[in-house]
Amino acid sequence: MNSNVWILTFADAISIATTLILATLGAILTERSGVINLGVEGILLMGAVTAFLVSDGTGNLWLALFLSVLVGVAMSAVHATLTITLRANQIVAGLALVIFGNGLSQFIGKPVEGKTRPVTIEPLKLGPLSDIPVLGPILFGHDMFTYLTWAGALLCSLYLNRTRPGLVLRATGDAPATVDAQGVSVAMIRFVHTILGGALMGLAGGWFMLARGTAWSQAATTNGIGWIALSLVVFAAWRPLRAIAGAVLFGFTLQVPFTLQGQQINILPPEIVQMLPYVATLFVLVMLSTPRARRLLGAPKMLGQPFVRDER
Amino acid sequence: MGSHRSGGATLFALSARQVTKRFPGVLANDRVDFDLLPGEVHTLLGENGAGKSTLASVLCGLYKPDEGAVLRNGTQVRLTSPRHGLQNGIAMVHQHFRLVDRFSVAENVVLGHRKLPFLLRANDLEDQVGQVAERFGLPLDPRAVVGELSAGQRQRVEIVKALYHGAEILLLDEPTALLAPPEVEKLFETVRAMTQAGKSVVFVSHKLGEVVDISDRVTVMRDGRVTGSVARGEADTRKLAELMVGRDIDLSPRRSRGEARETLLSLSNVGLTKDGVDRISQVSFAVRAGEIVGVAGVSGNGQRELAEIVAGLIAPTSGEVSINGERVNGVGTRNVRKAGLAYVPEDRLGTGLAPSLSIVDNLVLTRDRGFLVDRKSAHLEAEAFIKQLEIKTPSALTATRKLSGGNSQKVLLAREIFTAGSNSRVLVVCSPTRGLDVGAVEAVHKLLDEARNAGKAILLISEDLDEVLTLADKILVLYRGSVVHEATGDQVDVEAVGLAMAGLS
Amino acid sequence: MIIGNLRIELEPRLSTPKWLYAAVPVLSLLFAFVVGGVFLALTGHSPIGTFSLLIERGYASTKGITNTLGSATPLICTGLAAAFAFRMNLFNIGEEGQMYLGMIGSAWAGIVLAGHLPSFAAVPMVLLFGALSGALWVLLPAVLRAKLGTSEIVSSLLLNYVALNLVNYFIFGSRGMFRDPTTSFPQGRLIEESARLGSFGTTRTYPTVLIAVALAIGLYWFMKRSNYGYETSVFADSPNTARYAGMSSTKLTLSVLLFSGALAGLAGSMYVVGPAGKVDPGLLQIGLGYAGIVVAALARYNFVAVILTAILFAGLREGGASLQISSNPVPISIAVVLQGSVLLFALGGEVFRRNRLRIRRIQQVGVVS
Repeated sequence: MNSNVWILTFADAISIATTLILATLGAILTERSGVINLGVEGILLMGAVTAFLVSDGTGNLWLALFLSVLVGVAMSAVHATLTITLRANQIVAGLALVIFGNGLSQFIGKPVEGKTRPVTIEPLKLGPLSDIPVLGPILFGHDMFTYLTWAGALLCSLYLNRTRPGLVLRATGDAPATVDAQGVSVAMIRFVHTILGGALMGLAGGWFMLARGTAWSQAATTNGIGWIALSLVVFAAWRPLRAIAGAVLFGFTLQVPFTLQGQQINILPPEIVQMLPYVATLFVLVMLSTPRARRLLGAPKMLGQPFVRDER
Repeated sequence: MGSHRSGGATLFALSARQVTKRFPGVLANDRVDFDLLPGEVHTLLGENGAGKSTLASVLCGLYKPDEGAVLRNGTQVRLTSPRHGLQNGIAMVHQHFRLVDRFSVAENVVLGHRKLPFLLRANDLEDQVGQVAERFGLPLDPRAVVGELSAGQRQRVEIVKALYHGAEILLLDEPTALLAPPEVEKLFETVRAMTQAGKSVVFVSHKLGEVVDISDRVTVMRDGRVTGSVARGEADTRKLAELMVGRDIDLSPRRSRGEARETLLSLSNVGLTKDGVDRISQVSFAVRAGEIVGVAGVSGNGQRELAEIVAGLIAPTSGEVSINGERVNGVGTRNVRKAGLAYVPEDRLGTGLAPSLSIVDNLVLTRDRGFLVDRKSAHLEAEAFIKQLEIKTPSALTATRKLSGGNSQKVLLAREIFTAGSNSRVLVVCSPTRGLDVGAVEAVHKLLDEARNAGKAILLISEDLDEVLTLADKILVLYRGSVVHEATGDQVDVEAVGLAMAGLS
Repeated sequence: MIIGNLRIELEPRLSTPKWLYAAVPVLSLLFAFVVGGVFLALTGHSPIGTFSLLIERGYASTKGITNTLGSATPLICTGLAAAFAFRMNLFNIGEEGQMYLGMIGSAWAGIVLAGHLPSFAAVPMVLLFGALSGALWVLLPAVLRAKLGTSEIVSSLLLNYVALNLVNYFIFGSRGMFRDPTTSFPQGRLIEESARLGSFGTTRTYPTVLIAVALAIGLYWFMKRSNYGYETSVFADSPNTARYAGMSSTKLTLSVLLFSGALAGLAGSMYVVGPAGKVDPGLLQIGLGYAGIVVAALARYNFVAVILTAILFAGLREGGASLQISSNPVPISIAVVLQGSVLLFALGGEVFRRNRLRIRRIQQVGVVS
């Protein structure tokens, strides 16, 4: 077995992690405001198919990514309207978004099903840095979005912990009545962050299509990454920086089946190896379920609870 | 009233003019006038449901009045929100604190402040908050996590928060409800420090005894109207009580008639340790047929745990609970009920009753149900209760959450007193009149008195000391999980009970 | 919300007029057709033509309606599975995977155990094994939820992907017992003939549809009248009240989730005893598990209403499938788009059933001095 293979696997894991980080950051922002958006998988799919179709039609990478973001915004706005304005059940609304995204991406993607990706997000050339043995390809062989995403996680963390709106956001997820009593609109904060989160999820889908996907295939493109991102939120304890570490870990489990297959290593049948990311995620969820772990994690207290002002 | 005019000799800090506020089916404020001087402590006195909290909510901008006006320094203001009220220097501290448990004191205090910089520096904020607290003699650590503070400390956080946001007028809604007497004294010191700095304070309270001393003026409300407004020294407690209730109230205690008989409930050396902390320690007492034993104490001193141990919801870690001579620790709720216990929990809607289920379905809750549920007999029973106890409801199939507090409490009491089975002779009742209006309180007290006279053994756990004093034949005071004071009904020394509640005996 | 001098508010209804119960689903369906129509028009299809064809081939012809009833059969089961759990605020969204396991479990029983049994014993046994396998697949999320309080949502869903790979493994990855040994083409081994049910005449409706309908009605009655149904309704409304009354939340949570899994598993085994007769990857393409959630939500978790919504959805699918065969083929996924939209609109519409919309002029606050 070639040691280069494992270096490349690590590099790929870090690359895949970009999508996971983006989607997880989106979910963290959403959930910190007290809204749970289970529609991540649907938004990823729609973001991906949008990026594919737009770049296929125009060849313009930036337009493609921009429209993926817009699709994320539109879908999360639907979720926000249903759950915040109309107070529908957040879980069912999120599921509806998944089903809707599943169907629509399949429908509009049908003509290009199986077609190869028209444009590619190219890795940056970081000169001598990329040539450092081992570390070079692992850390310095990625495209600009990977690095921007890391910076984004840092920004998110600063935003949450060190800024005035971040303080209000954290309070909204924990004690919306308090925020409301301060004359700040809980609905507004939830709307803004649900949509901001959706934008990141849309971008996650678009980037994944154009940087990692080879061809559009509805059934195989995202493959449950959205659900893994939702588990990552728990793993990261709703903290943006911890999402990076978790995303790399989960990125690794997503990449390993491909490496093994590519290298024709048949310790286990490929179908069984394909289960790895899901089983690993489940395992982590089980580990995080102990009462002790739960206390340390600290989910936003009012997560999933609609806010109704208490008037008589 | 109505003699004060804006622009006259005295300029009021805050006034209400002919304020009317309606809620569906209720006229909460009926042409109310109210005036507050700068530097004054002014109490709004009234029973639950008299409309005083509504008036305070109008004054702070939470509710908009249907008619009438609010004047600040003689000029009319149309407050659109509590935030708008705050911009006019008016802040309200609610009975249920609005704090973020996971935040530090400093974070809680500064939350929502307009002039906060975009980037926050924890140290700067903590210093600022510390300074405000110090100026008014409020000992607080700005770094402490609010979730770990006592009720009194949280109240201080709320007050500091109001002051930090520039409040000149503080409306305190039932500020003493959660405090032990010494903490109340500390609160009064703070209030004096604030008035000396020229700020005004409004107490909203139904406890006539404790607020009279500190108030410069007391305005009394009843049924949505102001029934009188008196300055310090103008009226005694008796007069205020009359204004409050509108008739002579029967303050005489109800005690058991007849001799108490056999012991039905007994606890010996009961203890509960959770997470290494003693929640209940060495509690022993007995309740006999035909008597009410009252447990007084400030909330959070183990009342809930005590009730749940007796009710079989949690098992004690030491000691023994027996009902009718049968040992029942750790046997589970159903078996404790079989042994003869009925239980009215403090949280009536959400624990005692399932809010979305009908009265009928809630009556079925503590029955033996078998494979299929028999709703026919429960329906007949429900109709009988509705008639007998004058429960106001559209029908027996109405969801209990649609009933008023008093009516849902009647449903719960009816189930626990009358239907829990003929052998059920022990009744545990927790804060049965919390949040109820005067009429409902009387009805509940009458039901409990009747149950006692019918030979039940009743354990009454209540934070309302007056209630315990009125009903109990024997009083225990719970402090940090231990019984620190015991007295028989007619020989109660109220002061000693107060001290015991504060842990000073 | 305030626009100009109008105040727009939602106000809870004290009583709901009967017609609204029907109006919400019907209007949701209409709106969903509008959304679907927009996408059809955008992709160069005639919305009216497509939809009338869809309705004709889904419901309004003998062949259409019998096909629809056939594919509604497992959908009723997954719908019941979702309704059963969601009513209790237990969000089992792993019906898809539980259904795959039901298919595997019943195929195993049909191949291994059914050999010497007469049909009246073999069929129920095969169905039972499917149900048990479905319940088994939800065991881990159920135990985690009941014992540790871990959210069952993500855990039950992740298992769908594991189940999917498991089916692929049995058919494509291994030469095990589920694979047809007589051919090198990867396909499932047929179960014993005694364990299969024939369809009604030349239709594609199987007798299992009667079982599914009976199950729905039976569940409706049982949950309304029995002590178990009563306890679950108390627990769903207020877990603290259930605890107060001495009900075991662990037992209720476990039993509800396991039974939900069993119902989903039954969907898989009805597919096996009926049209498929084997472990068939075809089931992986239809998404009956996910659709079951939509069916249940649209029925507002009412078991009898599930029958109707399942038939409605199966018709969309059958009609949608037939659209692929035409000069200008419409992708079958239009059916999924419609399903998703119906649910989104129904969720929004629910609010208007519970609340009334009030638009009022803002009055000036009068000043009395």
